[in-house]
Amino acid sequence: MHISEGVLSGSVLAAGWLGTCAGVSLGLKKTSSDNIVRSALLSSAFFLASLVNVRIGPGSTHLSFIAPMGIILGYGAFPAVFVALLLQAVLFHFGGLVVLGANCFAMALPALLVHLAFGRAIRETKKKSVTMSLSFVAGALAVIMGASIAGAFLGLTDENFLGAVKLMLLAHVPLALIEGAATAFLISWLKTAAPEFLK
Amino acid sequence: MTNKNKILFAILYSLTVSLSKNIFVLAAAVVVTMTMFKKSFVRPLLRLNIFNIIAVITLALTWPNVLDGIMMGLLIALRVNMIYIALATLVFPLGFAGMYQALLLFRLPEKLRVLLLLTLRGIFILKDRFDSALISLKLRAPKMKIQSFTYVTGSVLLQAAARSERMERAIKCRGGFGGFNAIMSEESGIRNENALNGLESALSIS
Repeated sequence: MHISEGVLSGSVLAAGWLGTCAGVSLGLKKTSSDNIVRSALLSSAFFLASLVNVRIGPGSTHLSFIAPMGIILGYGAFPAVFVALLLQAVLFHFGGLVVLGANCFAMALPALLVHLAFGRAIRETKKKSVTMSLSFVAGALAVIMGASIAGAFLGLTDENFLGAVKLMLLAHVPLALIEGAATAFLISWLKTAAPEFLK
Repeated sequence: MTNKNKILFAILYSLTVSLSKNIFVLAAAVVVTMTMFKKSFVRPLLRLNIFNIIAVITLALTWPNVLDGIMMGLLIALRVNMIYIALATLVFPLGFAGMYQALLLFRLPEKLRVLLLLTLRGIFILKDRFDSALISLKLRAPKMKIQSFTYVTGSVLLQAAARSERMERAIKCRGGFGGFNAIMSEESGIRNENALNGLESALSIS
C-alpha cells in the first residue's frame, strides 16, 4: 500500500501532509502519557508485521494490522502509524520522506474510521461470534479503505492513473480477506486472554 | 554539513525531483545525482528497479496510450532512483541516533519523540520474541496458518506489553520520560554524541 516517491503531485503531497499533521496532533493530544508505551508497542507490531511473510497458496503476503491498531489505540493510531512509517523509511528504505504524509494518511485514517465505527461495539459485545464478525469486517474494510485513499491520491494526481488504481484495488481484495481473518482471530483472542488490553 | 541540513537538503531535493516535469531541471538533477553515486548503491537500486519494471508494465497496460504509459513509468522510475541515491547519501548513513538528533532540531512534540524512541525499543523486544515464537511454531506446524500466526502475534504482544509496562515504571522511577530528552536537549557536542551512541547501542542490545 506504500505509494512510491516521485509519483504524486505537489497539491496531493501537501494535502497528505496536512491531513497527517492534523491527525498526528489530534492523536498526540488524545494519547495520555500512560498510553504511549502501548502505542509504541503497536507501532512496533505494525512495523514488524510488514516484515513477516505469511504463505497463502502459491504466493505469500504480509499483514499490516491497521484495524487492530485502530481498535486498540483509537486516535492514537495516527502518531503510531507515522512513527512506524518514518522508521520504515529510515531503517528499511520503504516509501520515502516526502511521500510519508500521504502514506501515513492512507493507512492511519482507515484505522481511526474503523475505531469510530466498530471499536465500541467490539469492546461491548459478549458474544465471540459477534466479536469475530465485526473484527473481520473492520480488518477487511481497513485494507480496502487504505487502498482506496491511496487510489484517490493517485487519481487526483493524474486521471490516467485510474486504470492502475482499479488493478490495485482488485489486488487488495484477497489481502483484505486475509487481513480481516487475521484481525478477527487476533481481536477475539485478545478479548479472551486480556480484555483490559482493548480498553 | 550538519545532520539537520542534510535532512533538509534531501527533502528539498526529493521534492524538486518529484514535482519537476521540466526536462532541464531533471537533467540538472541527474548531474547532481551522479556526483553522489557510489558502487554500494548498485545492489539496492537493482532491487528497487524490479518494482519499477512492474510499475512500468502496469502503467503501459492501464494507461489510455501505451507509449505515454511507458514514458510515465520511466519518468517515475528515474525520479525514484534519483531520490533513493540522495537519501542513501544524505539520510540513511545518519543512522537512528543521527536522525533522532536532527529531528530534535525540528522541534517535534515531546510525546512524538518519546514514541519514536520507545517504538525502536519495542521493535527489538517484539522481534526477539517473534523470532523465537515463530521458530517454535514452525517446529510444531511447518505449514503456518493465519490463525496460528495471529495467536502467536497476540501472545507476543501481551508478553511484550507486560515487559513494556515494567519498562515504563522503570523510566518513571528514573525521572520520567524527561530523562530521555535531558540527554538530547543541549547543543550537539562530543558528550551528547557519546550519549546518543550509548543510547543507540543500549536500544539495540537489550
